[in-house]
Amino acid sequence: MSDNKIRLSAVSFLNARPITYGLERDLGGTPFDLSFDLPSRCAERLVTGDADLGLIPVGAYAASDVDLRIVPGIAIASHGPVRTVLLVSAAPWDELEEIALDGASRSSALLLRLLCHERGLRPRFREVPHEDVLNAAGGKTGALVIGDAGFEAGEKFPYVVDLGAAWHDLTGLPFVYAVWAGRPGAVDAEATARLQASLEDGLAARLTIARAWGEAHGGPPALYEAYLTRNIRYRLGAEELSGMAAFFERAHAAGLLPRPVRPRLYEVAAAPTAQTAARGPRSIDALLSDAAAGARLSPEDALRVYAEAPVLELGAAADQRRRALHPDDTVTYIIDRNVNYTNVCVTRCKFCNFYRPPTNKTEGYVLSREELARKFQETVDLGGVQILLQGGLNPNLPIGWYEELFRWMKANFPLAIHGLSPEEIRYIAEIENMSIRAVIERLVASGLDSIPGGGAEILDDEIRHAISPLKCTTDTWLEVMRQAHALGLRTTATMVFGFGEEPRHIVSHLERLRALQDQTAGFTAFICWPFQAEGTRLKLRDDTTAMRYLRIFALSRLYLDNFPSLQVSWPTMGPEVGQVGLRFGGNDFGSAMIEENVVSQAGAIFKLSAEDIERYIRAAGFAPRRRNMRYERLATA
Amino acid sequence: MSVTFSEIRDKVRAAEPLTLEDGVALFQHRNLMELGALANEVRERLHGDRTYFNRNLHINATNVCEASCRFCSFARLQPGDKGAYTMTLEEAWGRLRARVDAEDPITEIHIVNGLHPGLPFAYYTDLLAGLKKIQPSIHLKAFTAVEIFYFSQKFGMSIEAVLQALRAAGLDSLPGGGAEIFAARVRKKICDDKSDADQWLEVHRVAHRLGMRSNCTMLYGHIETVEERVDHMLRLRSLQEETGGFQTFIPLAFHPENNALMKLPAPTGVEDLRTYAVARLLLHNIPHIKAYWIMLGVKTAQTALWFGADDLDGTVQEERIYHMAGADTPQVMHPTEIVRIIQNAGRTPVERDTLYNVVAEGDALLPQKPFRRDVRRRTLEVVS
Repeated sequence: MSDNKIRLSAVSFLNARPITYGLERDLGGTPFDLSFDLPSRCAERLVTGDADLGLIPVGAYAASDVDLRIVPGIAIASHGPVRTVLLVSAAPWDELEEIALDGASRSSALLLRLLCHERGLRPRFREVPHEDVLNAAGGKTGALVIGDAGFEAGEKFPYVVDLGAAWHDLTGLPFVYAVWAGRPGAVDAEATARLQASLEDGLAARLTIARAWGEAHGGPPALYEAYLTRNIRYRLGAEELSGMAAFFERAHAAGLLPRPVRPRLYEVAAAPTAQTAARGPRSIDALLSDAAAGARLSPEDALRVYAEAPVLELGAAADQRRRALHPDDTVTYIIDRNVNYTNVCVTRCKFCNFYRPPTNKTEGYVLSREELARKFQETVDLGGVQILLQGGLNPNLPIGWYEELFRWMKANFPLAIHGLSPEEIRYIAEIENMSIRAVIERLVASGLDSIPGGGAEILDDEIRHAISPLKCTTDTWLEVMRQAHALGLRTTATMVFGFGEEPRHIVSHLERLRALQDQTAGFTAFICWPFQAEGTRLKLRDDTTAMRYLRIFALSRLYLDNFPSLQVSWPTMGPEVGQVGLRFGGNDFGSAMIEENVVSQAGAIFKLSAEDIERYIRAAGFAPRRRNMRYERLATA
Repeated sequence: MSVTFSEIRDKVRAAEPLTLEDGVALFQHRNLMELGALANEVRERLHGDRTYFNRNLHINATNVCEASCRFCSFARLQPGDKGAYTMTLEEAWGRLRARVDAEDPITEIHIVNGLHPGLPFAYYTDLLAGLKKIQPSIHLKAFTAVEIFYFSQKFGMSIEAVLQALRAAGLDSLPGGGAEIFAARVRKKICDDKSDADQWLEVHRVAHRLGMRSNCTMLYGHIETVEERVDHMLRLRSLQEETGGFQTFIPLAFHPENNALMKLPAPTGVEDLRTYAVARLLLHNIPHIKAYWIMLGVKTAQTALWFGADDLDGTVQEERIYHMAGADTPQVMHPTEIVRIIQNAGRTPVERDTLYNVVAEGDALLPQKPFRRDVRRRTLEVVS
């Protein structure tokens, strides 16, 4: 064993072949030693220190006693049917009294237990050896079939549940089966890039892999190829991270995992993404149709699209992209409440109507526990699942105030805390003289679930300086998000336009977000809206015309190719234009907001109930579904 | 579905009239953007980027009305009812005088009223004549077909005689209101006691024959079916074949507040855009499609400029009818704002008069730079 090499422990199953394909062909020039083990053994070797990196099942990641990190960008996952993780039986699922589990696969067993729990089913589970599983099925006993056996087992039994599909039906999210994981610091940027390059080679060689597998193991290569190209997805992007996080959280809530677990990635710079080769100037039509098909827009191309593309064609391209990303024509929304815990703020942004400086003792407020409790309870009563908690930068609130608040909230209300924008986190770090990471760690430990992407305005310091000179710089805003993502938190990102910026500032904003997302995959969604001017100190007229909003929104859908969701902003644009935005790239209708204080003080006056929201979504030709902050779909109440 | 979108597209491009079946298929076509793009093709074939507006004043002289339309939030049935009003002639004339004194260069007055049982015919002729006396050049677009028909019944005159008398007093053209939905099934339920489809169409036929121009409307989004919408538009199209007198079609979205149909939800933005697009495609022989911003909301109206509409109506002062049904739009829009909205949509604003003669365009329009140039400011002006 070479001292300097990174010891990899991988599995040799068919669905893992594309991941190791490039490494196997060219190990000589890489910093790796590669060995193949059973999945459970991969995880053991990580724990004992016999391997530096293991391709391990998610169940093993969640159960690990040692702190693990995940290599970004690579996973074995499915968006719907997986075909090789099946519950088969002679009786319907809901009538099964017992289920035989394959002892070799703990992750799939965990998934099945969770899916049973979510359906309110309580069958007995019995572990049997891998080769005996199929024989165990019959009568009121089902069997969890893993691997190639699933290809045939699916046809032999009258009742077959594909667990990948069942998970997707439940949550609307992908399921991640395995990831590269190891101890912190085990891989650097170069090694990460090598692993990603190995997968790229493997993805390109899926037909070859399928043929070779057919020759070695029998069976039709076409079946294997279809499996590798249609069922298994190999990217670990934002949606897959959401799927993992949702799995861990649901399993923890169901008592199947002893402690909360978050997927945490290695913090390494992203591999240089395959840029489109330099070509001559392309027509706008060509740019739009490529972007609609998923090709990445360069900043230069985005500027041309923004300036030149006819609005309906831009919208249609974004609509096509949205359909590719969300093919089931579902539009999600959330029921939550905006609670602004304080309006005292030292920042004095010129576009803000909401804040009061600390010197204003009569109009400044901090909400009391009684007021908060009433708001939270009303939210729960109205079916709300989350509090969007944001406030001013109040010098009188130390980190302990937030910690106590979060613990109290978590102890008393079944609500997720989507709270404290980057600016607030940075400010707490400043007044406490702590690092940003330490602040987030303490807030997470006391109950913070996710961070809203507010305060981004335009992520370009030229503009920021003009409108909010005391607010954090672009780099700081992004750094807070980077740290949050590294700690396994999911966040949103926003953009407020109409501050007199030029198109290049907007594209620069989108570029910064996309670049960070390439590295962290931590953003769940992007939301943009025009600045609401009424009564603020900015002497600008409202830039609220619908066409500019729809153009920028559609461009954002095309540019942010690594963001799963785009949310329309009906509170600022009105429900009509918000609804039209669903045909310009939007797949989320935002929040049935029970309360909003900030933009409503600057002239936005729209209010919608959940029933109204569903009506708008349906009238646009979509099926409405409630979600939580991770864009995980919830059963309708 | 037997007819496909691409078949319809071929027909549209070959300038063939669409059928009832085609219209229904368009309403049911799922791809809104594709539908909008086709309507936009027709809109640009007819008008390029040109987008029209005018400067106008609305006068609703009375809201006392004998009809009891269930979608109406404006009418009060009896003169003494709470909220009922009838302007004196002096009051009505005063509205115009105020605009003239303010040097507001309006070119049109739009007059629509309730069916008041007690006013004499002279009230209407005096109203028109008085307005013309104040401002002889003003265009008077007054009285829906429903009012004209009511006058002919009440005063025992033929439709032609009513129109001739009003014309002699100053009437220039007819607005398009009162058409609602032509289908008898719907009229029986929502506006049983006013003129029927044939009577409405007959008034416009006579007006066109006398050389007057008029507009036409459709009130959508209440209890009508898609087939009934298409049927409505096709009846307008065939009268247009006969007379050529319609200038503009205005789809009007039903507003549910303060009327007998309150439990119905209002149509949503996507349905509005779809209706505009289908109207543009079905009504090949009516030159203009108007996105009436008072009713649609400014933002949706602006968006409709890419879904078949080429007209935003006007500055519209003192609109009462839609605002009593819950419209939360402003009651007046400054021409600068209309121009900005049109330019911001990437279109070319043209100020027109009622008959679509150009009043101002290009640099003559307003000292207003296109939006894109407008934002190239480095430092922001701040009130401090």
